[in-house]
Amino acid sequence: MIPIHEVPGSALPGPAAIETSGLSKRYGKVSALTDCTVSVPEGRICALIGPNGAGKTTLLRLLAGLSRPTAGQVTVNGTTPRQDPAFLADIGFLAQDIPLYRRLSAEDHICIGAHLNPRWDAESVRERLTGLKIPLDRAVGKLSGGQRAQVALSLTLAKQPRLLLLDEPVAALDPLARRNFLGLLADAVAVGGLTVVLSSHLVADLERVCDHLIMLASSRVQLCGDIEDLLAEHQILTGPRKDTTAIERSHRVVQITRTPRQTTLLVWLNGPVVDPVFEASDVSLEELVLGYMGQDAEPALAQLTTVGEEQ
Amino acid sequence: MTWLVWRQHRIQFLVGAALLAAFAVLIVITGVQVANQYHAACAAGRGCHAGSGLFLGSHAVGFLIISTLGAPALVGLFVGAPLVAAEAEAGTTQFAWMQSVTRRHWVAVKVGWMLLAAAVWGGAISALVTWWEGPNNALQLNAFDPGRFDIMGTVPVAYSLFAVALGIAAGTLLRRTLPAIAVTLAGFIAVRALITLLLRPHYLSAVTVFYKVTSNLRPPGSFWQVASGIVGPNGQAIDLNTNGNAVFGIPANYLPASCNQVSRGAFTPPPSCVQAASHFRYFVTYQPADRYWTFQGIETGIFLVLAAALIAVTAVTLLRRDA
Amino acid sequence: MISFRVDGHSVVPPYLQIVQQVRQALRMGVLDVGDQLPTVREVVSATAINPNTVLKAYRDLEREGLVEARAGHGTFVRRRPPGPPPGTHTRLGRGLARWVREARDAGLDDDSIESLLRVTLRAAAEEEEIA
Repeated sequence: MIPIHEVPGSALPGPAAIETSGLSKRYGKVSALTDCTVSVPEGRICALIGPNGAGKTTLLRLLAGLSRPTAGQVTVNGTTPRQDPAFLADIGFLAQDIPLYRRLSAEDHICIGAHLNPRWDAESVRERLTGLKIPLDRAVGKLSGGQRAQVALSLTLAKQPRLLLLDEPVAALDPLARRNFLGLLADAVAVGGLTVVLSSHLVADLERVCDHLIMLASSRVQLCGDIEDLLAEHQILTGPRKDTTAIERSHRVVQITRTPRQTTLLVWLNGPVVDPVFEASDVSLEELVLGYMGQDAEPALAQLTTVGEEQ
Repeated sequence: MTWLVWRQHRIQFLVGAALLAAFAVLIVITGVQVANQYHAACAAGRGCHAGSGLFLGSHAVGFLIISTLGAPALVGLFVGAPLVAAEAEAGTTQFAWMQSVTRRHWVAVKVGWMLLAAAVWGGAISALVTWWEGPNNALQLNAFDPGRFDIMGTVPVAYSLFAVALGIAAGTLLRRTLPAIAVTLAGFIAVRALITLLLRPHYLSAVTVFYKVTSNLRPPGSFWQVASGIVGPNGQAIDLNTNGNAVFGIPANYLPASCNQVSRGAFTPPPSCVQAASHFRYFVTYQPADRYWTFQGIETGIFLVLAAALIAVTAVTLLRRDA
Repeated sequence: MISFRVDGHSVVPPYLQIVQQVRQALRMGVLDVGDQLPTVREVVSATAINPNTVLKAYRDLEREGLVEARAGHGTFVRRRPPGPPPGTHTRLGRGLARWVREARDAGLDDDSIESLLRVTLRAAAEEEEIA
């Protein structure tokens, strides 16, 4: 796969909440994350998309300071992740398996949070859970998966961090609950002072609420940037089956699909498309993501060579 | 953070406190009886040491006392081993370490309270046992013997600290509770056995003393006998493994025939026999009674150092390892 | 108070949907001059879309001159978009409702009604060009 990722423009408003450079993490011989260079501006809701095993959880854990990189730099809220109460207070992290103390109740967890965090909005948790009809005094292990997820999410928000890192937070929720939670997130961001990174398989959910995207596949970054910009810079070209070398020379082709009658290309534009035979249409986020995830290794490499030679 | 430790471990604390309380009640009630028995025996006028074969107190409680040998291990197995391992298994360290407490603080407070609990556990049991065994110690002068040395004084505190430190380290390195419990048990037994059997006799060079076989002398007080035997006139060691009869402890084949009469009945041995026997000497290699507290101190120190090393390993591992 | 509906599957981007819904509300008289638009937080809580989307829509409306943002108070309607007054829309809307009932009684489904409308609009546009 070609690691085509966007280097964000220099006109970023304000400091970056997240900045990584060449970030890598190996476990023995296996590379979980390779040469990851991304940037997420403050105030964004960033979607972290990729298939299983692509490195999403690894990246989130590196950002939270739960694991240390094998190589590269990572800057979060202006510093390297570190064991420092001030840094920890500004970060919220929710792991995929929702680690709560199973034998303790939601109310217990609220008290734990109150004791261990400088800023803690206990009332918001109680209000929210009561509104969702989740009992505060039952052992968390006895709640359903969806209820546990709601408890964990509420606790993470109550910490009032500057950066929220959520690993598949809505996987256990039904569609209505998902919508409510994403609305809650968007509201928290609207208040100000919060950046969110959430990983997910489901593109449709994220398309509404996210304005930034990091896409990983096979431990590498495929895409990184504002969703609006990314969508504007890509197009789908549909046309009869014919020689596409001209297009391939002028633009970066992400994916080609050839059927006996038709050729469809997903291209990253390098100027306007001049070929009249091809019909250009806008790309949806889902098409973009699928296009990058479905790249074939060999033809893509050939294109890279072509582009290189041309230049 | 202390509140979290309490909330997570309050059942363990309460169970431990209840066990201690029950043990204390039993010991105090029976111990008072034992003390009364002892004072009655003393007052009977035959001297407090006359009944040196008498065991004071019921055998059931006595058995319980002896089984406190394993009490330090309990705190290691059920408090130490699950401390980090259970959290690692459940992944809850990811929750705790993403609250605004540093790992260092989390480790320090959790481990600190568990060490304190272990010390209190070992100390309370030891204090109760030492008090209860007071009369028996005075009568039988065996406080320094292995098995009794281990359940009184300061060493049970050190054993408990060692056990809990071992449990915590095992749980940290293995990250699973049941294997950690197994390793802690095996490790505790192995280290205790090793030190008691191989190291303790050599903390200080043992003293060897020779007595005439015909005398009835022994080292004073609660000495710890490491070895004993009989040496012949030429200084040769006498093989005491014999099926035959012995006079003054010396096997009959080393003695002249005049001694044979003695072996059959309660006769005063003839002068020729006594003369022959007087060339033999009885030796005792021992640690003198006045070294009791020195040995307690040395062994306490050894186990404290081991505990400290294990805590250091735990801390380094937790602070450096990925969550 | 107007409430927005954002269709995630529409080809129209969310911010544009909001702009269109505000314009339509103004034309229909649901929103009047001086009314306050929902706050960004209210919109976001209800629709679960990104707050920047709402901000962009409101900024677009401000640039068009339809609304104005008063710092600390919210966003308020300034004037109506050019076109016939709300009454006209309401009257035409009622007429259209009658026609739709008639079409339904005649057996047309929603798809046929839509394509009939499109064809008619196109024909009207061509007529205007010729004229």
